[in-house]
Amino acid sequence: MEDGISPPAPGVGKVVSRVHGSTIGQKAVMAVSGILLIAFSFGHMVGHLQMFLGAEKYNAYAHFLQSMGPIKWAIRFGLLGLAGLHIFSAAQLTMRNNAARPIAYANNKWLAASLGAKTMRVSGGIVLFFILYHLLHFTVLLVGTAGFSGENTFPLSQTRLLNGVAVPVFVDNVFQRMVVSFQNPALALGYVAGVGLLSLHLSHGIQSALQTLGALNSTYRPFFKKVGPALAGLLFAGFAVVPLAVLAHVIDLPK
Amino acid sequence: MNLTLKIWRQKDKATPGKFETYKADDISPDMSFLEMLDVVSERAQQNGQEPCAFDHDCREGICGMCSLVINGVPHGPEAATTTCQLHMRKFKDGDVIVIEPWRAAAFPVLRDLVVDRSAFDRIQQKGGFVSINTGGTPDGNALPISKKEADLAMDAASCIGCGACVAACKNASAMLFVAAKVSQYAHLPQGQAERSRRVLAMMEQHDAEGFGSCTNFGECEAVCPKEISVRVIAEMNRDYLRATLVGTDA
Ligand code: HEM
Ligand code: SF4
Ligand code: FES
Repeated sequence: MEDGISPPAPGVGKVVSRVHGSTIGQKAVMAVSGILLIAFSFGHMVGHLQMFLGAEKYNAYAHFLQSMGPIKWAIRFGLLGLAGLHIFSAAQLTMRNNAARPIAYANNKWLAASLGAKTMRVSGGIVLFFILYHLLHFTVLLVGTAGFSGENTFPLSQTRLLNGVAVPVFVDNVFQRMVVSFQNPALALGYVAGVGLLSLHLSHGIQSALQTLGALNSTYRPFFKKVGPALAGLLFAGFAVVPLAVLAHVIDLPK
Repeated sequence: MNLTLKIWRQKDKATPGKFETYKADDISPDMSFLEMLDVVSERAQQNGQEPCAFDHDCREGICGMCSLVINGVPHGPEAATTTCQLHMRKFKDGDVIVIEPWRAAAFPVLRDLVVDRSAFDRIQQKGGFVSINTGGTPDGNALPISKKEADLAMDAASCIGCGACVAACKNASAMLFVAAKVSQYAHLPQGQAERSRRVLAMMEQHDAEGFGSCTNFGECEAVCPKEISVRVIAEMNRDYLRATLVGTDA
């Protein structure tokens, strides 16, 4: 507040150096980037659940996302930036923490940490590979693309006028790509394992991020120690049900 | 009772240490853990051996001098209890007990089980106090403080600075200690004037001493002999981030 009496609040440069140069600041970066990635993950999950509504609805939704142009690119770069910040801070803090105990205990006991907490670095690391594969698979279309060729456009029931004649709007057949991919059990189960590890990461991550940002107290902490893992489980269920439904032919290509 | 002790022995800061095994026979279950070590040391001395060095002072759980990681747990197996208040009846005849010093880069071993905890003093000197020029003693109850706030301040103020939180933390972070020292003033009117400056300066020293960062596992809270809750860490994070983003007195 610049009221002429109190000194001014710290400038942007000072805030950045304090956040980057301190353990609490770096943890806050992890927490904020983590929470934004979680928000995206829930949106992404709801998007995927539209697979149950059939090829028409799902392809129309995918087409809508694809047609957002600059917004689409802003979101993509934003997500990459968040992941970059998250991983950068994780790496820096992990190195610091390893250096803080140069000689390990002969007898090392755990008293309080959950499985998710103990495995944060491992789960995060594997999720990174999962995300990279996922992007190369469905976004860049470089790996696991067997069966992607062929019938790759889909006529929506919506039409547009071409030289005065009503013709269907043809869009990318993302539905077909999803189904073909997940009919391969290795890809489907690998995907389930990936979201399983993400969920394990978040079973500690959600409540940890809130604690890092100072949002918890003696009442909220026990509450979020239950709600955090529950939300993580919900995310797992929402993501895993799609490949499992494809494997079980509940979701299938239109006849 | 008859016990086997595996004790960390280290000549000085520079020399690498190692475990040595000792027999502790005819130990009374009514002895405290430190009394047991006294007896073992005395017998070692009688046999012409160098007794093992360990820290202690009040022996009544209030000074924070005693330490020791006993079978992987700082201050041993009993919750909310310092090593000096731990009794041998908590162990069984024939037990093997592994005794290690607090292990942290910021707490170098001086000798055997004694570590240098002056990093805590340096953190305290950065702001673990209220600067008030002395004057007449204020009247009691002149400054109204609610019971709830007073309790929160008192709970935090019960930290004895033993360092078990650092010893238990998988990252050797001292967040619980620093947060207790920050929180005790954050709940009192006297602490408000220096609130932002205090948290920034104390955390800067914490990081400079080479302590790790908090991963919110709660291992510290589980071993703290004074049962300081990690709610103080959430409070300190909030104060730190507020001071960083909008603090004016820092
Ligand atoms: C891409 C690879 C990833 C890596 C390498 C990674 C690594 C880590 C590590 C090591 C921690 C613990 C850090 C600490 O406590 O000091 C952590 C915390 C966290 N991660 Fe990740 N993570 C990854 C992906 C994700 C994703 C995709 C999300 C969300 C959807 C996420 C959400 C979180 C949250 C919320 C926390 C807790 C932050 C806190 O404790 O304050 N992470 N991550
Ligand atoms: S917070 Fe608890 S464990 Fe840490 S120094 Fe204070 S009394 Fe010891
Ligand atoms: S010797 Fe003082 S607390 Fe144990």
